[in-house]
Amino acid sequence: MTAAEGKKVDCTLLLEQLKQDAEAGGYSLNPDPDFAFELAQGIATNIERYGYPLCPCRLTGGSKEADLDIICPCDYRDPDLDEFDTCY
Amino acid sequence: MGFLKGVEDMIDLDCLEQVEGTKGDHEVVLFALSTCPHCRHARDFLDANDVAYKYVYLDSLKGDEQKRVLLESEKYNPNHTFPTLVIDDGDVVIGFREDQYKEKLL
Repeated sequence: MTAAEGKKVDCTLLLEQLKQDAEAGGYSLNPDPDFAFELAQGIATNIERYGYPLCPCRLTGGSKEADLDIICPCDYRDPDLDEFDTCY
Repeated sequence: MGFLKGVEDMIDLDCLEQVEGTKGDHEVVLFALSTCPHCRHARDFLDANDVAYKYVYLDSLKGDEQKRVLLESEKYNPNHTFPTLVIDDGDVVIGFREDQYKEKLL
């Protein structure tokens, strides 16, 4: 078990961190605040489950090593943004 | 997609939850994750439009059952992204695309 795994994550703090990280990289979170909060809730659940911010729209491969490409912000963000205007 | 059996092939997946609806013109299966907001919006759309469908949250499954369902969803979306909606004989919508949901289901 990692240090983060199993610990309750504060969604409001996580959302603020996600927002800052996105903006530092020239991105922006979904402009719908409810959607953005739901996204943070999904990531928080995955931190509590697995100990790392697995993309809430991707299924774990069973280990952190297997999931390196789908830890938020994941390797598929830019291709998804190009194709769908949002990431999945 | 003609080589796939589509939804008929998945009827025996006993982990699929059935949601009743008055619009039952199509057999509809939604592969989803409980953590995914796009998946919730997809379900909200289907519920609000009274579409009958089956769904499964793959992250709620364990072990062999999860592998079995993932192999099934992989036939329609090898990239393992969610939500993946399968209609009838293998018509697939990847992601929650409201325009395509409307076009294909309403």
